[in-house]
Amino acid sequence: MLLPEFEYARPETLEEAVALLAAHRNARVLAGGQTLLNALKLRLVKPEVLVDVSRVEALRGIRVDEQGRLEIGAAVIYDELAADPLVRERQPVLAEMTSRIVDRQVRARGTVGGNVCLADPTSNYPPLFVALDAVLRVRGPEGVRETPAEGFFLAPYVTALGPGELLEAVLLPPLADDEGVGYESLQVGTDSWALARAAALVRANGTIRSARVVLGCGSVPVRQPAMEAALVGREPTEEAIAAAAELAGEDFEPPTDVHATAEYRTAMARVMARRAVLAATRGSR
Amino acid sequence: MSPAQLETWERPATLERSVGQSVPRKEDGRLVKGQGAFTDDLWMHRMGHVHFVRSPHAHARIVDVDVSAALRVPGVYATLTGEEVRRLTDRYLQIAPEPGGRAKDYCLAVDKVRYAGEPVAAVLAETRELARDAAALVEVEYEPLPAVVDTLEACEPDAPVIHTEIGSNVGWHGVYDFGDVDWALEHADHVVRIPHLHFHRFSSTPLECNAAIVNWDPGTGQIIIESNQQMPQFAAMFMAPALGVRTDQLVFRAQDIGGAFGIKLTSYTYLTALALLSRKANRPAKWTEYRSEHLIGSAHGNERTFTDIEVPVTADGEILGFKANAYDDVGAFMRYEPLGGVIFSQVLPGCYRFKHMRVDYRTVVTNKTPVGPNRGYSRLQHLWMIERIVDLVAHELGFDPVELRKRNYIRREDFPYETPNGCVYDSGDYHAMLDRALELIDVDAWRERQKAAEGTGRRIGIGIGSTLDSGTSNFGQARIINKNLPYSGNGEAAICKLDLHGEVSVALGTVPQGQGHETTTAQVVADVLGITPDEVLVRPGHDSARNSYTAFSGTYASQFAVTGIGAALGAARAVRDDILEVASCVLEAPKEELLLYGGTVSVEGDEDRALTFAEIANLVYANQGSLPPEIADAVTLNRRFVYRAPFRVPDWRSKSGSLTLTYASQIHACVVEIEEETGRTRILDYAAVDECGTVINPQIVEGQVHGAAAHGVAAVLQETLEYDADGQLLNGTFWDYHVISPPDTPMFKTDNIPCPSPFTPTGSKGMGEGGGGPLHAVCSAIQDALRGTGAVVTDSHNPMERVWRLLHEPPSERGVEVRSR
Amino acid sequence: MSVTPATTHAITVTVNGTTYEQAVQARQLLVHFLRDTLGLRGTHIGCDSGNCGACTVIVDGKAVKSCMQLAVQADGREIETVEGLSDPLGPPDPLQAAFTRHHALQCGYCTPGMLMSAKALLEERPEPTVDEVRRGLKGNICRCTGYVNIVRAVHEVGGGPEA
Repeated sequence: MLLPEFEYARPETLEEAVALLAAHRNARVLAGGQTLLNALKLRLVKPEVLVDVSRVEALRGIRVDEQGRLEIGAAVIYDELAADPLVRERQPVLAEMTSRIVDRQVRARGTVGGNVCLADPTSNYPPLFVALDAVLRVRGPEGVRETPAEGFFLAPYVTALGPGELLEAVLLPPLADDEGVGYESLQVGTDSWALARAAALVRANGTIRSARVVLGCGSVPVRQPAMEAALVGREPTEEAIAAAAELAGEDFEPPTDVHATAEYRTAMARVMARRAVLAATRGSR
Repeated sequence: MSPAQLETWERPATLERSVGQSVPRKEDGRLVKGQGAFTDDLWMHRMGHVHFVRSPHAHARIVDVDVSAALRVPGVYATLTGEEVRRLTDRYLQIAPEPGGRAKDYCLAVDKVRYAGEPVAAVLAETRELARDAAALVEVEYEPLPAVVDTLEACEPDAPVIHTEIGSNVGWHGVYDFGDVDWALEHADHVVRIPHLHFHRFSSTPLECNAAIVNWDPGTGQIIIESNQQMPQFAAMFMAPALGVRTDQLVFRAQDIGGAFGIKLTSYTYLTALALLSRKANRPAKWTEYRSEHLIGSAHGNERTFTDIEVPVTADGEILGFKANAYDDVGAFMRYEPLGGVIFSQVLPGCYRFKHMRVDYRTVVTNKTPVGPNRGYSRLQHLWMIERIVDLVAHELGFDPVELRKRNYIRREDFPYETPNGCVYDSGDYHAMLDRALELIDVDAWRERQKAAEGTGRRIGIGIGSTLDSGTSNFGQARIINKNLPYSGNGEAAICKLDLHGEVSVALGTVPQGQGHETTTAQVVADVLGITPDEVLVRPGHDSARNSYTAFSGTYASQFAVTGIGAALGAARAVRDDILEVASCVLEAPKEELLLYGGTVSVEGDEDRALTFAEIANLVYANQGSLPPEIADAVTLNRRFVYRAPFRVPDWRSKSGSLTLTYASQIHACVVEIEEETGRTRILDYAAVDECGTVINPQIVEGQVHGAAAHGVAAVLQETLEYDADGQLLNGTFWDYHVISPPDTPMFKTDNIPCPSPFTPTGSKGMGEGGGGPLHAVCSAIQDALRGTGAVVTDSHNPMERVWRLLHEPPSERGVEVRSR
Repeated sequence: MSVTPATTHAITVTVNGTTYEQAVQARQLLVHFLRDTLGLRGTHIGCDSGNCGACTVIVDGKAVKSCMQLAVQADGREIETVEGLSDPLGPPDPLQAAFTRHHALQCGYCTPGMLMSAKALLEERPEPTVDEVRRGLKGNICRCTGYVNIVRAVHEVGGGPEA
């Protein structure tokens, strides 16, 4: 309950933030703190410096960039994201899912960037962003780079952010007219802890043209190529999708813990994958 | 003893005025404004803060405790180790007889640690942060020992022994044997055999954790304890001998307590450590438990395993009784145990007319957090087993679950009903309650929907849970556990007085944690004195130097409406008698012609001849010369009254007797929907009908029903405390212990059917614990939903995965078998 | 507020209409600042993992868990706590009165957080249905009431339809 001692700084600009991260090896980014503060209470992390980026304007915006990508600043708060007209129009599943994260108090403070960078295996955004083929814009001492969400999550609580780097924005490619998104979770109670998650981006026009299916609640979000391959070329019927979902579970390593066994989680991942694809094909757009 | 020998009380004639109304609570004024005084809100001048060093091992020898680094930190006032505790205190009294009673229990671990989280040392420092940081510098060397975590394994002859003084891990063993169950099993038309049932470990987790400020004043010798300990005199009986002090040196104070549910009863170990630190450092010692500490270091509810259950049933559905082995897992230290070993027998046959019963009961210690009398204590586990029995008999033998219950329930006309072990159920009407519960959920409509849902991938189940809340314990039942314990009966004390200007105030021996004692007491006292509840000041909280108490004072075990109210009633009536005595003398009218109304005593038919309470108070307190001497000597306007429950000592040899005075009951009906693919179980409809005698405040009663039901729903679907094989608690924070939240708690439908108790002053019965109805009802509903699959619900905890496995993985052995003649 | 890292910072924060300037340790949680530094003991602590909501206060119009925020992060913010709902010696506000009317509290420990959550909910989502209230209060745990009466009280004050 009591935090260890640390230094705190609140930069106003992106440059100041990056400079602080570069200057202090053992620094952490603080935004909403809805998970970092718990880690500090439990003494799981002991940063020397907390760099609070929650008021850096450059990280707070939502806009559409020149390539038509929806750009969401890393310090955008869940509430803002869920209510934003651009998000609701272009990524309604994302907006809807965000409006159900945990509870209102968390939604008033937590940020997209915090969720993505924490890389908790049960986090909401990573599987969805991988399914949506999102790109992450990262700023560091060497400059700015874009990196796909797929491949960004390396292990539980480990991302591809390098030393001194800061997530700047999440960029979502525009959805085509025949593309649909599905996102399904199995939760212990309403808006609560997830035992299984699946996200799907499906392009279908009479038959399924392409599919990206991602399982969450494993150690990292993981694509399901066998299931995807089984979907392509098929009509999006319940039977076909169910048959393809039997193949889900590749490279999937959920834990066995006090809440559920790995076996159950895997079986449920298949159920969620089936449901997510079904929802995606039913025009969840 | 026959029911006719128990005393009954006359009911005061003025009882209907405020009693029975949902009077808004007096407590609320300060609580809604955040003006409550909870223990962590309090400060004492010069106080230090305490942090406990806790064992990471479930079972280990303590080789060395080195506090030197912690002591070197500036701002650290003192430390405390097990070695000091061993020198400075005597081990705590044990309730168990030999050999269980030989267990060594101290406020810090001495020689050994027996559960992960057990306090090993303590640091007192200037600030909370400093105490915590310094505690991290305490070095403890352990020699780990093999841990035993499984209840049945702990009973094996080769299991690691947790208390070598006991010689085994069985702290107590007793057999309850009534009627002739062997005869019944031999002659019954059917015997239903259930090899194994398991009631899981969970906790009510009051939202406020344990907290205390203890100041051992060297000048007066008083040990002031500001805490949220819910049964102070019980704590005193353990602490005083341990500390070597008089019980009246221990002054317990509490104002507002953020829930307790039986979990804040065994905190006397922490209070003892704080007292020692305070004396050592010559300053007050404050401790506020963190939630993660609470989950590992306070108390859990009892976990109980039942084996070899056999149930004889006649062809027409009369359940003759049952036999079972019960293994009660109480964690590393017994403390309030093994009282649980007799308390369940208060409801030995549950709501049913069973005649032949045998329970072979063991209290088993394991390397887990010690248990405390969590809401529903010991009866909950037993009643759950009984409802599983009845449910499975219905399923296996093809009886309608409603009809089978009605066939076997104790009937309204049977009350007062004496059970085979001598308990007397005072009143009830289970048949009417069951009908009402089914009506509230419109059971026929759900049966239709259940049929319609078949084959859709969603299964609907309808379940019933019948339960009892036995209240006002006869502490003589402790002799059934240990014949040498000098306890019997039950009682509560109250003081009612008029103050200098005639104001009415009451001080109770109870320690409320949200049950509305200030309000219900005010209602009862108001009616006796002819005033409104607003005019009655009930001292908030508890102060053992101010209030009066008995050894059993506290707030626990569903007894306030009987014992606390009984005491307040008696005290108020005694004050009324004083008032009438003075008024009769001054107004020169016989007492029978006097009316009490609105703070005035007047002569009936001649209202000008009147005295106000203020005038009466003046005469007694400040103006005694104006009264005749015999009146002045007899009247005090300050009356202490002890309500004594009309008990005798039970017969420890036959393990029988009147063990509780009242039997509130609840019948629950519930509808669940199971999603076959996932095992996800949702409650679609829920009704709880309760009966608790005369209702003093209907809203307060309903609130207790809601609260207990929420705890029950949480336990059956999502709350559990789980350990790994090394005795590590796997879910020791609210992140992993999934407390139920508003959207997942049903908007319970309720109703109340009053059957006044013939044994209590107001006809009321205690009812706060509830009896865990949802555990029984939801298990019953899941069983119903799984009809036709062969699955058997054998666990009290049924999260998604367990339900999924019941559906998709039938075990090799079914979990129930039937032998028919 | 400083760009230079420091263990202590000066913050300016308005609580229930009163502005405070205080030096605070960076490690201090907002809930401890309110309780210990400002002496506003109405906001309570029920857990150590941000799950119970007992510490809920309103910051710039939004309900937040004050144990999940550093005091330094509240710099420049407007905070409302339970003490600000009504005059300490005066009558309760409509929400507080509804809680009493419906017996929506027993021990009272969750009540301040529940009231602040409810207040923010009703401001953001006027006239909620019963289920919207139930979901809206998801972040607040109560162990005494079973929530039924709390939901009824908030729903009544909100004035919305049943469903």
